[in-house]
Amino acid sequence: MALLEVKDLCVGYRIFEGHLRVLNRARLEVDSGERVGLVGETGCGKTTTVKSILRVLPIPPAEVASGEILYRGADILRMSHRGIRDLRRREMTAIFQDPLQSLNPMFTVGTQLRDILKDSMGGRGRGRLSRREIEARCIAALHETGMPDPERIMHNYPSQLSGGMRQRVCIAEALSREAQLLLADEPTTNLDVTIQDQILRKLDELVDEKGTSVLIITHSMGVVRDLTQRMYIMYAGTMVETGRTKDLLAAPRHPYTQGLMESVPRLTGVGISDGIPGRIPNYLDPPSGCRFHPRCIHVMPVCKETVPEFFSVGEGHVAACYLYRS
Amino acid sequence: MPESILSVENLTKCFPTKQGLVRAIDGISFVMAPGDTLGLVGESGSGKTTTAQCIVGMYPPTSGDILFKGETIGAAFNRRPKHVKGDLRIVFQDPGSSLNPKRTIKQILSVPLAVHRVGTSRDRLARMKALLEMVELPADEYLYKYPQAIGGGEKQMVALARALATNPSLVLLDEPTSALDVSVQAKIINLLIRLRRELNLTYLFITHDLSLMRNVASRVAIMYLGKLCEIAPTVEFFEHPVHPYTKMLLSSIPVVSDEEEALKPHKAISKGEIPSPVNIPPGCSFHSRCSERGDFCAELDPEMREIAPGHVVRCNQRYGPEGE
Amino acid sequence: MWQEKRADLAASFALRRRSLAKGWYKFSRNPLSVVGLVALVVIVLATGLASYITPYPAHAGPYTNFKAAGQPPSWEHLFGTDRIGRDVFTRVIFGYRFSLLLGIVVLGLGVAPGVILGLIAGYHRGTWVETTIMRVTDVFLAVPPLVLALAITAMLTPSLLNEMFAIALLWWPWYCRLVFAVSSSMRNQFFIREAEFSGASEAHILFREMLPNCLAPILTKMTLDMGIVILLGASLSFVGLGAQPPTPCLGTMVADGAKRLPGEWWSTIFPALAIVLVILAFNLVGDGLRDVFAVEEV
Repeated sequence: MALLEVKDLCVGYRIFEGHLRVLNRARLEVDSGERVGLVGETGCGKTTTVKSILRVLPIPPAEVASGEILYRGADILRMSHRGIRDLRRREMTAIFQDPLQSLNPMFTVGTQLRDILKDSMGGRGRGRLSRREIEARCIAALHETGMPDPERIMHNYPSQLSGGMRQRVCIAEALSREAQLLLADEPTTNLDVTIQDQILRKLDELVDEKGTSVLIITHSMGVVRDLTQRMYIMYAGTMVETGRTKDLLAAPRHPYTQGLMESVPRLTGVGISDGIPGRIPNYLDPPSGCRFHPRCIHVMPVCKETVPEFFSVGEGHVAACYLYRS
Repeated sequence: MPESILSVENLTKCFPTKQGLVRAIDGISFVMAPGDTLGLVGESGSGKTTTAQCIVGMYPPTSGDILFKGETIGAAFNRRPKHVKGDLRIVFQDPGSSLNPKRTIKQILSVPLAVHRVGTSRDRLARMKALLEMVELPADEYLYKYPQAIGGGEKQMVALARALATNPSLVLLDEPTSALDVSVQAKIINLLIRLRRELNLTYLFITHDLSLMRNVASRVAIMYLGKLCEIAPTVEFFEHPVHPYTKMLLSSIPVVSDEEEALKPHKAISKGEIPSPVNIPPGCSFHSRCSERGDFCAELDPEMREIAPGHVVRCNQRYGPEGE
Repeated sequence: MWQEKRADLAASFALRRRSLAKGWYKFSRNPLSVVGLVALVVIVLATGLASYITPYPAHAGPYTNFKAAGQPPSWEHLFGTDRIGRDVFTRVIFGYRFSLLLGIVVLGLGVAPGVILGLIAGYHRGTWVETTIMRVTDVFLAVPPLVLALAITAMLTPSLLNEMFAIALLWWPWYCRLVFAVSSSMRNQFFIREAEFSGASEAHILFREMLPNCLAPILTKMTLDMGIVILLGASLSFVGLGAQPPTPCLGTMVADGAKRLPGEWWSTIFPALAIVLVILAFNLVGDGLRDVFAVEEV
């Protein structure tokens, strides 16, 4: 049984102009110990997916039309508040894009780390740790993330730290809880490239050591290549291709993925393509059938009628495109 | 030999802060020829944005000169002659805040046209439509939209159209595509390349994305903590990087294929934090993180020297203190 | 050429209509706001057409009829009559005139200078211009409004005009501060910088670029302020420093009738309720406006 399974999730938003049908049977799976990437551009619905998993969707205007999100077989969307709280305490943890927003500016790093550690042990099965032990664990967590001089950092406020150090604090917070699943939403997008490199390497090491499963959401193919074993490509509310990371990046099959890969600037200097014609669809009136069809150079009549299923294009590699219907 | 369009000479800009004097830019010099695309690359604290801001006239420099087409313009914008303001334009980083949310695209585009009296008020409407067409946006639809109704990439195209409204010669692009998706970025970059050819533009392209510069720039310059480290023509820069910081940057780039991975220098793994500009390390400011550090690097601040035609580097290890 | 101009105007017009439609949608989502708006419209119409719709328009002027004095509410006199025999209902409707006029004049006089000064101070943030303007504002804000209004009106002869003048003098600092807060934080945004680097004049930047972004809080505050101004005007009239008799003024009516409580309650209660109604209506509309201008997050 997969650790996390998103099944045919349909989520929409009700606004002035009408009903935005964003997620259209989104599907996702993360196995125990696996590292999965979710790649997509702005407006594809990746943030909506993450918020649904963490159950922090603003309802209303959002509404879950149908689908399930199963964590170890239990549906998160229908869980009680207590169940969700326990899940958040023990099983799931998250890192977000902007560490400035994730950290409370009014409290020192030490206070926040300690609070999180204490909370994660609260609830049923309360473990008692002395103050000294908690302190030691916090410092160890910071040290693990490669933070220089952790004892001093414990007394600093987030505003006194650089972006990279703040993100290290967030990672320490997330991983100190011995959670099973880590959701990372664009964790290094705001960081400088040399710092991003260090943080990603460190994250790689840490999740490897602890055997944590990771779902990393990003728009950067390069980040996904370094950090994940399997990846999904998302477009307009659906997953259009998934497979082993190295395979998918080396031989993308879905026309959208191909268009994306051609747009990525390469260090080899081969030049950049013209991008993908058209725009992301208007969710008020999304295209029928395959939502990518208005922009697809290989479009066929069947594409406009029904949403394609996943067709196999290689070992462990599938694409939702009628080109591969055998 | 074409006359240089932009010449920056020993430019320095300091800001007084609570923690002390910050030397955001410290004595940088470079020259741009017409038609060049110079990629100015750096991370936080490098001073690349401050450089653009000084060139466009947001602040007067603390010392040094900026010459535009031979004319000294090193002053704040309100002291610059009007023709310079029309000739030297900038496209900002954040599409969300570079367009006034309460004004329509038509009103936004009309401002530079009105200020610089481009055409009569009658043919201004036609001119606005032409501008939008130039950036490949359907004019009749977009003129009457508000910025919130259009996507980030399109906002940048409008910002570009606005910059081109006054027929400039030099356009400063301050991370124009950093906030955009890769497929949108591709469209805009190709647009920029096409327009450069058609309108004889020169670009000063500020970014942190080296892979992008590999495909766009004719020359690349790296900045670190307010100083230039290395400048070289693009191919030379990527094939024969010299400065240790350049190598560290190149090795940190996330790439998507094995062949690119092979091109990265592998002995210069990134380490250490970027020092705060208030606390610049003594000697060569990079020495605390440098993998090729030598004995005197902590004391001696290197000078910029040319090591190959068009390729300048500022590093103690490339030439001894006496200069080789 | 003409074609183009026509198409241009049509498109601009269509855009404006859409914005208004969206605004109305957001406003009407809260039924109370709509109730407030309807009440306001009724009051304004009634006030405008006072001479035509009130049963005894002459009672708004010098009129006495001691025989009909002190009568309780009846079909002939909906709100009863006051101590000199004038129809209270008619006088309430006419009394609204002065309340509304007061609000319009005070806000008209007070808002504009406050907004202009706020814009200038925000644009020149960090310079002596800002410091001067804001410190002057602080001085005005330090004085309690009712006290200052009383002092000024007492210094000059009590009249509606002087009352308006006194209150207007007190109103501009609030708008100055409000606009300063918005404009100073907007000042370094890229779109303002771009206008500066393009060479736009300061007037253009202040009024064409900054002001549209300040309109939301200004309009909301103006609506809520109408209520406050009307109340302030009524309070001044209550202590005798406002409109002089026989001009019907809600505050004065409340004061006169108060002496007769609880006996002839109608000559106080109805004017008081009228004041409450108009202030409530403005507040509800103000809340609705706040919803209209709130930025939606999707």
